[in-house]
Amino acid sequence: MADFTIALAGNPNAGKSTIFNSLTGLRQHTGNWPGKTVEKKVGTRVYQGKQLEFVDLPGTYSLAAFSPDEFIARDFIIYDHPDAVICVVDATNLERNLYLVVQLLELDLPLVIALNMSDQARSRGIDIDIAQLSNLLGNIPVVATAASKGHGIDRLLETTIEYIGQNRRNGSDCECTCGTQDRFKIDYGAAIESAIHQVEITTEANQIPLNGACSRWLALKLLEDEADIVAGVMDEVNGQAVAKVAASQAADLISEFGDDVDIIMADMRYSIISNIQRQVIHQSGNVGATITERIDGIVTNRLIGLPIFLAVMYLVFRLVIDVSAPFLDWIDNVINGPVAGGASALLTLIGSPLWLHSLVIEGVIAGVGGILTFVPGLIVLFFFLAILEDSGYLARAAFVMDRFMRFIGLHGKSVIPLMLGFGCAVPAVYATRTIANPRNRLLTALLIPFMSCAARLPVYVVFALAFFGSRAGNVIWIMYVLGVAAAIIVGFILSRTVLKADQETAFVLELPPYRMPTFGGLMIHTWENTKEFVQKAGTIILAISIILWMLLNLPWGVEDQQESLFGSLSQVVSPALEPAGFGNWESSGALITGLIAKELVVSSLSQIYVDPEDGVDAEEQSPSLSFSESAKSIVFGFGLAAADAGKTLVSLLPGINLLEEGKAGEDTTLSQALQLHFSPLTALSFLVFVLLYIPCIATMSAIKQEFGGRWAISAAIYQTFFAWLAAVLIFQGGRLIGFS
Amino acid sequence: MKDRIEETQKKIPLSKLRPGHRGTILHVGGNKVVRRRFIEMGLVRGETVFVRKKAPLGDPVQYEVKGYSISLRMVDADRILVSPENGKFDG
Repeated sequence: MADFTIALAGNPNAGKSTIFNSLTGLRQHTGNWPGKTVEKKVGTRVYQGKQLEFVDLPGTYSLAAFSPDEFIARDFIIYDHPDAVICVVDATNLERNLYLVVQLLELDLPLVIALNMSDQARSRGIDIDIAQLSNLLGNIPVVATAASKGHGIDRLLETTIEYIGQNRRNGSDCECTCGTQDRFKIDYGAAIESAIHQVEITTEANQIPLNGACSRWLALKLLEDEADIVAGVMDEVNGQAVAKVAASQAADLISEFGDDVDIIMADMRYSIISNIQRQVIHQSGNVGATITERIDGIVTNRLIGLPIFLAVMYLVFRLVIDVSAPFLDWIDNVINGPVAGGASALLTLIGSPLWLHSLVIEGVIAGVGGILTFVPGLIVLFFFLAILEDSGYLARAAFVMDRFMRFIGLHGKSVIPLMLGFGCAVPAVYATRTIANPRNRLLTALLIPFMSCAARLPVYVVFALAFFGSRAGNVIWIMYVLGVAAAIIVGFILSRTVLKADQETAFVLELPPYRMPTFGGLMIHTWENTKEFVQKAGTIILAISIILWMLLNLPWGVEDQQESLFGSLSQVVSPALEPAGFGNWESSGALITGLIAKELVVSSLSQIYVDPEDGVDAEEQSPSLSFSESAKSIVFGFGLAAADAGKTLVSLLPGINLLEEGKAGEDTTLSQALQLHFSPLTALSFLVFVLLYIPCIATMSAIKQEFGGRWAISAAIYQTFFAWLAAVLIFQGGRLIGFS
Repeated sequence: MKDRIEETQKKIPLSKLRPGHRGTILHVGGNKVVRRRFIEMGLVRGETVFVRKKAPLGDPVQYEVKGYSISLRMVDADRILVSPENGKFDG
């Protein structure tokens, strides 16, 4: 149990994370705020023998409580009673940052200001009188920091602890934290102050419990008509009476000022802030065009802005390939070689039964191997995404691409995750973390699977070459376009139904100055994200691999795939696919394996239609695996195919590279076999089904981790249904027209 | 007195103010949520806004207010009424 709990608040882009990282290092833990999908970061540190706990509140511009982030920040401060709140303020942007500070001051709690980026302010000729600032804010501590350089953190810590100690000595036995400083108070003028007073009197007279808040603050919120506060008060005994008084006072103010109370108060806060700002900041000299402006001259330039964005995306993809490819082969070799071999030898040594042997090698190890093949790519990706975000470029990308996103009910920030989806949906889903608004984040993630990922490409290639000859390229291109079209349709529908934009909101995006990300910060980001993937998504992937192993190998000793549980399952499913033109167990079976990794659809078909003995690539089997005979099950192939999934994660230009590979390595036996069992029409409907149906379990796990099981399952269901509908339409429609 | 001054001031939506020009905010419109958002970002009555540039596709637009930059869509800039500096707003 921590001795002191300290909350960190502040605007986005003020460097709050950097300070949080400096204070806690790797001693962080990420979870979710109860009942919400917003990330909760908590970190610890020992200081002078005391155990400190830091809670990183979501970055907000105010405590007005309209978005989940604001609710969380406000509620934690009021109801969880942290011992202190450190508000991280961007010194280069003092005026706007003070808006949050002023609201925090009205909460009347131990507040410490970390005046961050003070080095950047200084170099811009912005000189801030810290003593005066501290004074004007009610004599609260203000510590200058330059977190990216590591300056001021120790002083910040020292000052905060000392301040907490001071306040405790001054004693606050009462629940609220009143009296902790020469109270900073905004004089809202006679009319409003009298209204506040009236409400305070009524509140006290009716003994409304404050629950840690201050009566003045409560009065302010009631007058501003803050929905959840009003509701809370109405629930109390005599609450209705108080609410009525507040409402009538508010009505008077509205008619007197001609505007809503919260707007009036906001105006007043800003004039106080203006005042403070004037007394505290001295701008020396003309700065001239800043570096940020110069870079933006290029990056958001009318002509080259868009090409630059595309170039950046290309660069990220390229870097992910070049840096991670060597590791993929290595992991592949290690898993299939020493690890599998060693485990096999060990199991044989202790005389384990055959089924256990198979389970461990083909189920567990192959499963873990599958998970690990994603890791190098993800590490690189998280790293570069962090660079894009921390440097400030991400906001520019959103600025440039916003227009495109409007159609689907999203905005500019969704572009990067969606484009990443063309490579692999798993990192793309995690990339949605850059989107603050939960509804937008969720919608983006739900649309990612429609961006035909690289794993589906082998399926397209094989079928296109087998059935459409010279027009194969066009068919594949059509698949991609269909995917995007489906995304637009689904986005449109979801935006109007289940995921309506909460209320009409304004899309106001801050374009922060370009900053150099700190290596430490990047590493922590990357580490935390990757760790989470392995822990959370990894467990699901592993569980499903084992289940699939069971399906394929039970009843134990089964030789013919058709007679395994897997075969039975496929046979149960296949009638449903009859109207789509491919209602045979082989197709169903292949599609089921597509749940693990989409390329498995090809290898499964290959194993089923072509002699199963040829299915697994003999060279890739390690000689030390004495278990090679039975290892020709599809699940073992998972380990191999998953490695390919990792490789195609990095596939660069879909349609070009792999198509050539496809032509070169064209498996005529498979082509011929397919031609026996499909027709061009059914091939088309099959491809459309593969394009649209349930995403692979890795993607599902990512969605589940980020948004909850309910959405993951819903996505699986509606996508599969949509896929089925489309495939049926194509097949039946084609038949009507005259194809067969 | 205040009303008379406001009447003689030219009032145009922020969206009509072109790059390179300045304006003073006279009114912040929209529903409660939208107005709060504008305000917390510094777009308040009396504040000076500078139009920096349009995005390559014409929308959104980059503005400068309270010493920092923001991006605003046209449809949102429509809701903010400004008085152009020197009475000029285009050209």
